Order: sequence, then C-alpha cells, then structure tokens
Amino acid sequence: MLPVVVVHGGAGHVPKERSEKATMGVSSAARSGYLVLQGGGSSMDAVVAAVSQLENNPLFNAGCGSVLNVKGEVEMDALVMDGKTLCSGAVSAVRNIANPVELARMVMDKTSHACLTAEGASMFARSMGVPEVPHESLVTEYSRMRWRKNLEPGADPVACQMGKMGTVGAVAVDVEGNVACATSTGGMMNKMEGRVGDTPCIGSGGYADNHSGAVSTTGHGETIMKVTLARLILFYMEQGHSVEAASDMGLAYMKSRVDGLGGVVTVDPQGNWAARFSSLQMAWAAAQKDMLHYGLYVGEHWSQNIQEPHSPHHADI
Amino acid sequence: MVYPHTLRIINMPAVLLVHGGAWAIPEELAKASVDGVKSAACEGFSVLRRGGSALDAVEAAVRALEDNPDFNAGHGATLNIDGEVELDAIIMDGRTLACGAVSSVKNIANPVSLARAVMEKTSHVMLTGRGGNLFAESIGVGSVPSDSLVSDHERTEWSKMDNYDAEVLTDFNSKWAHDTVGAVAVDSAGNVACATSTGGIRNKMVGRVGDSPIVGCGGYADNSSGAVSCTGHGESILKVTLARLILSHIEQGKSVADASQLSLQHMSDRVHGAGGAVVVSPSGQWAATFTTKRMAWAAVEQDVLWFGLDPNERLKEKLSQ
Repeated sequence: MLPVVVVHGGAGHVPKERSEKATMGVSSAARSGYLVLQGGGSSMDAVVAAVSQLENNPLFNAGCGSVLNVKGEVEMDALVMDGKTLCSGAVSAVRNIANPVELARMVMDKTSHACLTAEGASMFARSMGVPEVPHESLVTEYSRMRWRKNLEPGADPVACQMGKMGTVGAVAVDVEGNVACATSTGGMMNKMEGRVGDTPCIGSGGYADNHSGAVSTTGHGETIMKVTLARLILFYMEQGHSVEAASDMGLAYMKSRVDGLGGVVTVDPQGNWAARFSSLQMAWAAAQKDMLHYGLYVGEHWSQNIQEPHSPHHADI
Repeated sequence: MVYPHTLRIINMPAVLLVHGGAWAIPEELAKASVDGVKSAACEGFSVLRRGGSALDAVEAAVRALEDNPDFNAGHGATLNIDGEVELDAIIMDGRTLACGAVSSVKNIANPVSLARAVMEKTSHVMLTGRGGNLFAESIGVGSVPSDSLVSDHERTEWSKMDNYDAEVLTDFNSKWAHDTVGAVAVDSAGNVACATSTGGIRNKMVGRVGDSPIVGCGGYADNSSGAVSCTGHGESILKVTLARLILSHIEQGKSVADASQLSLQHMSDRVHGAGGAVVVSPSGQWAATFTTKRMAWAAVEQDVLWFGLDPNERLKEKLSQ
C-alpha cells in the first residue's frame, strides 16, 4: 500500500476546454510526487514536489496562474505540515514568489515560527536567498481577463470562482508510514488586499498527523474555515471512520451547516486514500503500487500503469 | 438538519469568562493581572446583563484587556524584532460559525473590534498586514501612533532581548513576558462566542502569525458544543489546533473541564507545549485550565465573580447587583 501520493487541482467547475489539461496537470504532479517517494524521499518531499509542479503550471490557481486581487495583484497563501512532528509552515498574502509552498517549508524548517505573512514573508524569502520574481511572471492572460470581468458592476466573484479552478494540494504517505500535506493558492478572485483564506490556516487548508492521516482541502475558503474542514475529517478518522467516509462526512457537514462546497484529498498512515468533493468537479490524481488513478467528474475514476503516457478521456482535445 | 441552538430554551443563566494569558506571571505583575481580568470580566458580563449577545460581551471584555497596558494586546503589546507592534485577533459567533480575524496589523488600538468588522462588513474571514490596515482606514477605524501602544516596561524588556529562542525559553518557563488575552461567553439565548487578541511573542520575526487569529487554534465557537479561547506557546497550539481539539472532546461527551485537561495534556505530551484555555458550554458549564505556572482568569456567573492565578486556585466574590 505504501508509498502513496494524492493531489488535487481545485474543486469547482472546470471549463470544458481546460478539463483535459487539468487532469494531465494533476496526473503529472502525482507522478513527480511518486518518483520522490520511490527514490526513498519523505512524504514531505513528495507533497512539496507535487505542489511546486502545480504552482509552475499556469492552468492552476497557485504560483504562476494565480487569480488577481481587487487591485489586480497576486497575493498567495501556502501551507505544509509534517505528520510525524506536527510541525507546520505557512505563508500568507506573499507576493513575487514563484513557489510559495517551498517558502512555507522554509518557515517550518528554518524559523521557530509556523506562519509568516505579507511583507514579513518577503523579507524572510530575501534572507533565505529565494529569488524574487516579477509580478507579470505570475499573471496569465486568463487570470487578467477574469479579473477585468469581475470588476464589472453586478459581477459575483464567489459564484464565478466556484465555477472555475481552485487551490492545489497534495497528501502523501512514505514507506516509513509518515504522512504529510501541502496546499497552495492564489486565493479568491478579486479578493480584498490582504485577504487570507483557509489554505495557510492549519486545520482548515490542511492537517497531517501520523496517528490519523493527512488532508488537503479546496473550495470556498471562508466556509472551510468555519468548520476547520481538514481537522474535522481527521476527527472522524480518529473515531474509526474510513478515509472515504470521513471525507464525505466532513464535506456533508460543511454543506448542511454553512452551505459551503469543496473538495479534499485524504490518506491514512496505512495508505488508504480518497479524493472526494461536493462541488461539480475536482481534478485529482493518485499514484500507488505503480498505478496512476485520476478523475474530474463525480464518480469518474480512470486507472493506468504509471509508466504509460497519459491517455485522454475528455472530449476537448 | 436541526441544530441544538434552534431548540434551546431561552433565558438560561449567562456566563462570561476571560483570561489574561498563560505563562509564569511574576509576583510583581500578579495583582495587576488578577485585577485586570476581574474588571474585564465584569465589563463583559455587564453587556450580558443588559441583554447583549455573547458576541457583544466577548468583544467588550477583550477590548477592556486590550486597553489595559498590563496585558499583551492592544496597549501593552510586545515588540517584534524590529521594535514594532504587530497585532493578531479573532472573534467567532457560535450561532452561525461566522468568524473574523486580523493578523499582523499595526497601529490599531482594538484589533478585536477590527476582527469583528472583518466578519460583519466583508465577505472574508481574515485580513492580514497592510490589507488589514487599509480596511481599517476604509471603515473609519483610526490608527494610533505606535508609541501609544508601547509601554515603557515593554520598551525596556525588548531592548534586553537579542533573540527569539531565548525569549521562548524564558517566557514560558520562567519570567517576564505578557501573553494573549481572550474571552468566551454564553448569553441567555444559549448562543456562545469567543474572542482572542495578542501582540504575539516578544522579538518575533516581522510578519510572524501565531495561533491567536487562526480559527480552531486561538479560538473556536459553536452553539452545538461550546466556545474556547486559548493562550500559551502559539506554535504548539497550532500543532494541535487546541481550541477545536477541546471542542471535539466535548462533542464526544466529555465535560468542559475534562476536555480542557485532556487536550492540554495532549499538547504537553505530543509537542511539549504549555498553555491554557477558557471554555464555556452552551448550557453554562465553564472551566479555566492551564499547564503553565500561572494564568490570570476570571468568570462571572449570575452574581458571583470567580477568579484565580495559581493552579487550583478558585476564589470568589459576590457582586453587588
């Protein structure tokens, strides 16, 4: 059963013309995470590798391709957590960084703190020699177009966001049974400057504990925070529920109590995994026992040998 | 699905509970700390007595502590490594699970009220750094000069410190620091709320965010289980999502006191962190628990003021009506 890595590319509605690219993106990220694990790397190394790759992919709302805030700027949030020690690292509202997930890991590894925000996070990045990238390198034509649309009177950025791509994230278990999670996002379209969503908040955007498992979440950040979704799912697992049942229970509770939609990837230390969502779609992929699993629509689950090239299933290419 | 708050009988006894931080409070600050939490508890309770909501009451109690320079929040906050004040706060309404938070905001006298404005006037939960300050400006919350937030005592202490790690050790094991303040309440309608506010840890890095503004860590409130406000070593509280952990034990049928004990013990065993929490249940059960040397706390229940500082200390005074 071990090792295993599961990634998501955000819960929401993926436009048809982007669906094949989305499943390819998450499949490729799961492959790179799995390569790290096969090479004897830790679950932490694997989730950071997978999420960095999704950050570098302009299709996803994290790193390059992040959505823009109301001023047309990119401010990003990221979180990593190590289930062995419960150590975590996070950055919130950080700018001009190509890979926020790697900076979050540095906060965990190189400081005595768990979260650095805004200008303080940039100062820390500089002190670590992390190159500053120009703002334009993080912005795509697509994100600029959507930002402009949402400035129009009557636009509803929240509804629009749930109709598009969200946060990215990964969970993994390594051969030693250590679990880890990582989550990264550009946040919500046309958000206020300085808005922090669920992603960098431990227990909401993700949580990892060797005693129960690891979760990375995506969806409407403000409602995920209200129910601390990642921690909630792990409470259910601590009470004996399976990864799949616990994930569904957490998402169902969020829907009934605060009317929120989202998605999660979940693993337990034995290597059982689940990719579940209450939104219309969520691009997800998992790698285990040399098999690659992936899907996008509810109930969809494709499998292939991990060595084989990705085979297209969606009609758009 | 029907939630307990919709079934609750109204006119239950209201309770308000505050803490002034869990740490090794030195003798010379002992009286000021106890006096401060007692007066904040009375202030918060007077809101409940007038028929105000739990949310109004915790905000009033925390504002009183923020305004008191003897506590590390608002006026009296600790300085970061650059000698600046950066403040974190959270507030949460157990009826709707709505919450508001600010992290790393500067020059705000009452961060808890700004957190409440985030909750009520934006579609977001949390604003950070400059964005938090810009929002404050946009709703007419005046900024105050940094110097007005810094006590002479803090300036002197700050100049003695040269690194954060030394500070963590001395703060939580021996002497000289201030910590987070917070409050929880249940009103006569059975609604619970929590609020937490802090200046963080002295000599913290610029932009360091601790547990206080993080939902489920610095606080959590849910009418179906209760409300919690936490204090102590922020990085350890984050690791175990302490507020949410305490409430999960209550959901499993534990008493507020047992849930607090179990969770603080878990934090001590698993990540070697010390801290404290105040907890109230929707039926008015309450507990003030800590694993640090001391925690100044006070509670008002009907016409009785309870308070303490040392472990197992539980003193009582009758309030005049």
